[in-house]
This record gives sequence, C-alpha cells and structure tokens, in this order.
Amino acid sequence: MERLASIPGLPPILACAGLLATWEIAARLLAIDGLPPASAALAQVPAILGDPEALLNIAASLRRMAVGFALGVAFAVPIGLMMGRSQYVAAFFNPLLMIIYPVPKAALMPIIMLWLGVGDASKTLVIFLGVTLPVIYHSYQGARAVEERMLWSAAAMGMGPLARLTHIVLPAALPEILVGCRTGLVLALITMVTSEMITRQTGVGNILFNSLDMAQYDTVYAMIVIIGGLGFALDAAFEALRSRLVRWAEPSHDLVVGTT
Amino acid sequence: MTRSDRSVGTLIGIIPIALIIGVWQAIAASGLAPPSLLPAPAAVFARLVQQLGSPAYLDHVATTLFRLFTGFAIAVVIGVTIGLAATGSRAVEGVVRPLVRVLAPVPKIALYPAFILTLGFENASKIALVVADAAFPILLATHQGTSAVEPKLAWSARAAGTSPLLCLVTVVLPAALPSVLTGCRIALVISCIVVFLAEMITSTDGLGHLLVRASRSFQTIDTISLLGLLLNVGFNALRARLLIGFPEER
Amino acid sequence: MLVVPSRDGAAVTSTAKIAIEAVSKTFETKRGRPHLAISDISLQVAEGEFVSVLGPSGCGKSTLLYIVGGFVAPSTGSVTVSGQPVTGPGPDRGPVFQEFALFPWKTVLGNVMYGLKQQGVAKAEAQSRVRELLAMVHLSGFENFYPKELSGGMKQRVAIARTLAYEPSILLMDEPFGALDAHTRTRLQNDLLAIWERRRKTVLFVTHSVEEAVFLSDRVVVITRSPGRLKEIIPIALARPRDRATLLLDRRYQDYVVGIERLMDEPGEEEPAEDGG
Repeated sequence: MERLASIPGLPPILACAGLLATWEIAARLLAIDGLPPASAALAQVPAILGDPEALLNIAASLRRMAVGFALGVAFAVPIGLMMGRSQYVAAFFNPLLMIIYPVPKAALMPIIMLWLGVGDASKTLVIFLGVTLPVIYHSYQGARAVEERMLWSAAAMGMGPLARLTHIVLPAALPEILVGCRTGLVLALITMVTSEMITRQTGVGNILFNSLDMAQYDTVYAMIVIIGGLGFALDAAFEALRSRLVRWAEPSHDLVVGTT
Repeated sequence: MTRSDRSVGTLIGIIPIALIIGVWQAIAASGLAPPSLLPAPAAVFARLVQQLGSPAYLDHVATTLFRLFTGFAIAVVIGVTIGLAATGSRAVEGVVRPLVRVLAPVPKIALYPAFILTLGFENASKIALVVADAAFPILLATHQGTSAVEPKLAWSARAAGTSPLLCLVTVVLPAALPSVLTGCRIALVISCIVVFLAEMITSTDGLGHLLVRASRSFQTIDTISLLGLLLNVGFNALRARLLIGFPEER
Repeated sequence: MLVVPSRDGAAVTSTAKIAIEAVSKTFETKRGRPHLAISDISLQVAEGEFVSVLGPSGCGKSTLLYIVGGFVAPSTGSVTVSGQPVTGPGPDRGPVFQEFALFPWKTVLGNVMYGLKQQGVAKAEAQSRVRELLAMVHLSGFENFYPKELSGGMKQRVAIARTLAYEPSILLMDEPFGALDAHTRTRLQNDLLAIWERRRKTVLFVTHSVEEAVFLSDRVVVITRSPGRLKEIIPIALARPRDRATLLLDRRYQDYVVGIERLMDEPGEEEPAEDGG
C-alpha cells in the first residue's frame, strides 16, 4: 500500500477511480432517477464537448474568469504590497476589506445586475471582486514579511523607495502572492459557476440548470464532472507554474483550505 | 503601533467607508440615478429596521439559520473525525490525502444540482452543500493540527497505559484544539456564504431567496437592505474575531 | 585630529572618516514607554581603520551601526562621514548583516552583481569584477547557485562579496559571523582580514565576542549594557598581518582579552531593565 502511495500521480488517479466506482455502485443500488450511474454520465461528456453551442458557453465562462482574474490580480497586488510596507495605507484599507471579506461576491450578483445588466460585465465584475480579496491579503502578508535588512542592503546600493517596492518587495513577496493567486483562482472558478447559476443566460452554470430543468440528468452529472475536471486542471496547471516561478524559495507548508 | 498611532489608524480606516456612504448619499440626493435603482442610505436603513420587525421576515431568517447550523454541525463531526483518523492511521491518511487533493479544487457548488436531484429542493440539499463545503477546512485543520502535536505528549499518555485510540481522542485532539477551532471558524464563515448562495440559486424560502425575489421585482430597497444585513452580520462575525482574516496591526 | 597606531606601530595623524557626535537613540515601544537604546556616544574613526564596537547583547551597538549607515535616524546628535552629514543610506557605507539579507530570487552572480547594476556598470565588466570577487571569497564555481542551496558560511561570503562589489569606502558589519558555527567563524575572520589587507577600507565591526574584537581590530570600543554608553576605547597594538595560531599564544593578545573581559564585567551605572529586560 505504501509503495503504491509513493508513485507520483498515482494516488489521485486511484482516488478518482475509487470515487467513480463508488458512484457507479451507489447509483445502481439506489436506482433513483436523480442519480444516474457514473458510466451514463461519463458517456455524455464527449457529447457535450462535441456540441458547438456548449463549447461556446464553456469558452465564454472561461473567458470571463480569465479577464476577471487578470484584472483582479493586476489591481490587488500593488495595493497589497503598498499596504504591507506602509502602515497608513494598511490602516486605510483594512476595515473596508474586513467588511467586504465575508460577503460572498456572487451574492452581489442581483444588485450588480440591476446596475450593469445581465451581460458579461456584471459577471466579470463579481469575479474580479472575488479574486481581489485573497490576493490583496496574501500580497499584504508577503510584503509585511520582507526582511528589513534586504531592503536596507538595496538602499545602501542606491535604490530609491519605488524601485525597492518593485524590485525587492515584489520578488521577495512573490511566493506568498502566488499562494493568494491560487486561492483567487479557486474563488474565480467558484464565483463564476455560482454567478452563472444565479443569473443564467450563458455559461457552464446555465448549461447545468438548463439540463436540470429539462430533466436531462445524465447531462447534469456530466457537466459536474466537466466543471470538476476544469477545477482540477486549472489548479494543477497553476501549481506547476507557481513552483517554476518560485523555485528559489524555501519550501513552506500552505494550508489549502477550501473557500467559497 | 503606539497608542496614538492606533487611533490615527482607526480614523484613517473610517475614511473609505465614510466616503462611500457619502458618495452614495450624494448620488441618491442629486437624482443622477433614479430612486428605484439607488435609494438613499436612510431609506434603506429604515426599511431594514422595518423588516426586522416583521414575523414573516424573521421566519426566513430562522430557516436560513437552521440550514446553516445543521450543516455546520455535521461538517464539524465529519471533518474532525476524518481528520483525526487520518492522523492516527497511515492507511486512512493514504486514502484521505489523494481524495482531498482531487476534491479540493472542485467547486462544491457545482455539486448542488446533484444534491437537488438526490435530496430534493428543500432543506436537505442545502444542508448537504454546506457540509460539502465546510467539511474540508475542518478536516485539513484537524489533520494538520493533530499531526503537529508534540509526539512526547502522546508518548507520556501511552506509557501510562492509554490505548492508542483513547490517546488520540483525549490527548492529541485537545492539544490541537487551537488549530481545529481556527478551521471551524473558517468553516463557519464558509457555511454562511454557501447557505446564502444555495438559497439564491433555488429556493422558496430563506434570506437568499428573499434577495433574489427582491431584485427580480426590482425592489432595490429590499435588495440593498438585505445585503446590508449580510454585511452587518459579516462585520460582527469579524468583530467577535471569528476569523483569522486581515489581522489588526499588532 | 586623530591619533592612530599605524601598521608598524608609529603614531600617525589623519582626519576622521566617520565622526559620531553625541548620538542618542530612543525607541517608542508598544506599551508607549520610550526605550533609550544608546546614550550620548561620540566617536571618531580614521580612514582605513578597523574599529570594533563591543558590548553585551541588547546594548544598542547595532543601533549605532544602523545610524552610521543611515538606516535609522538618531534622536539627538549627528554623524558625519567624509565631512558630509549622514541623511540616509548610500553606496559609500556598505552593510553586511548577520542574517545575510541576500536576495533569494537571484543567484550568487545576480546578488553580487546587484550593486554594480544599480551603478550602471556595463554587464561584461560587471561580470568580470564579480568573478574576481567570488575568487577572493573562495566561491568560484558557485555563480549559478541560489542562496537556499548554500551553507551559512557561504551565504555570508556572498554577502561580503556583494557589498565589496560596489566599492563602499566604509564597511559596516553587524555581527556578521554571529549566525555561524565556531569553525566557520574563525575561517571567515581570517578571510576577512586577508581581504581587508588587500583593500584597506574603513571598517566598523559590531560584535559581542571579545576575542573576535581583539583579533580583528585596530581599536576596540566598549559599550555598556543598555542604555549603551561609551565605556572605554582600547587601542590594540598588535602587528599586522595577524596570524591566529601565533596570536592565540601571544601574551599581549591574552592580556588584551582578559583585560577587556574584566572591563565588561564591571558593574556599571545601569538603569533598571525596562519591560522585564
């Protein structure tokens, strides 16, 4: 058993297989309409992926997510860094952020829809809001933790304060910033799916509930598998990118806590 | 920060909030936006107070809270048990770790339709969703916390004759309590969020449902006041230091 | 005007490179009660002198160094370097810190070249200067290593090379060998002296080790327990270059060490410890 566990990549595959097997068995045992067997659901996956309209929906979702994520990161990192190095900037933003933090950004959908309509803008905005918070938080923490002596060494070499922020604080805080980005990515995916479930129109959430309404249960589960797969793939890709970017860093233990 | 720095800090912190309320009031008063889209802050606050007095409204609040706490309680039991078991047994850990790795990046909200199909549109599906989302942080915090407990504590108990299982539950778990509680706090906030979202997606009652209903009929006042309620709850949760979120300046 | 022992023992006069006048520093603490770190210190250091600042932990000696470096502003008094008042950090005063403070995202080459890049030195020339420096600190071949792959002693060599690269006229060394094991420490002490003999910079060296101070310096400045005050300045009349093995058995070296240790043990006018010490 331990030898099996040590082969890289094998345990997750086994876990997936185990989950699918449990699903299949449970579905056959319970034999209710609402829980089609895994095999039936998986059979639908190629059908969905081959359908141009569905693909368009998925692409639209991913596009919104990407835009929201990119804007969120571009906005949040500078703010977090400045908060980390200046107690006044931190004092300015902290209370505001603390209040916004527990609000599920997807819950803002109705009111944002009232103001911005049902198009891309409102969904992208919500994703943007969802991403900025963890990224600001981690950038803030990362910037705070930068060793003072490193900054002094740079100052002695003749670097000005702005240069120190971009050339010293930013790289030094990068490991922590990327942890925030990873959380932000997870949140972007969740916010995207949730906001689409709430507002419908287009996207994966829409496909999901359309099939639900039309009692195409196989499709519903197939979509869930696709979304799950998307989440896993995005996270794995980001993790690979992250470890490359910060291969110079000492290893740290991140508590990957699920977030909404 | 010294005492004077801290009060200056608090004052600075109020500025953005005051600014936002001020701008809000100005826009509403100037008539730039129609009152149906952006009611004045005072009107919103008044409506909120009015709603809090109505029994129908409070019914919805009770429904939401019931789902929230039931789900949270189940998540605590499941999360702590599995987390503890993963610490105590290499075999359990070997199974749990890859499962968590696979399931963690999956947005649990995507499972909501599955819960609806199997458990119906009522409370059960929402509670199940809360459990799915809240169990992970608790599980992880318990496992990491108990794994990090100084082994010598367990050795002392075992030397005194305690069985491994009893040792795990009565020595290791209490020693890891700070970690576990932190995980529970995160999970509680997540539970609040998730139950609200689930009600927004499909429901016939509860606060989330009210929010969607209000917005669909363009009752902006209700919408904003509900959001305000949510914000207020969230703020209080932080005030009571339920979160490890943004740390105050120490 | 300053009288310093020269290398052959004859007295030589020169104008001060570093002039510290009546410097004090008070820190605000969290509880609001101010903490007086150093009190009324005046000191002059000549060009090319190696001066140690010696004192127990927490006596403020590092604070004094940071003030000279321009990283911390004094509460009272002033510091002049080469006739100019100190207003902030600068490439004329190069720091070397106990925690190395290397840039972890840059390789050894990247770190050492950093100051040169700041000064706009052309890449080719910078690289050749860097290789020369790395050879001097016995780290040739490690150009493409990241700091996390190096031992403590190696990291400190990189830190020293990095500071030497932009050729400051003053080296400010803050217990640079404090985080290293005894064996590495003695090796680096020897290496430091070898480098210093080649490029005679002014060095202000903070330490809590009496032996280290006596071995390395021309003068030892003894600071009292917190709040740090200047207790005494002891000129070290030992010929250079100094060899550790010979010196350890030298009676005069031993006398210096014992004398200074006794000096530091004397009960001084100490203020009661604040915040429980």
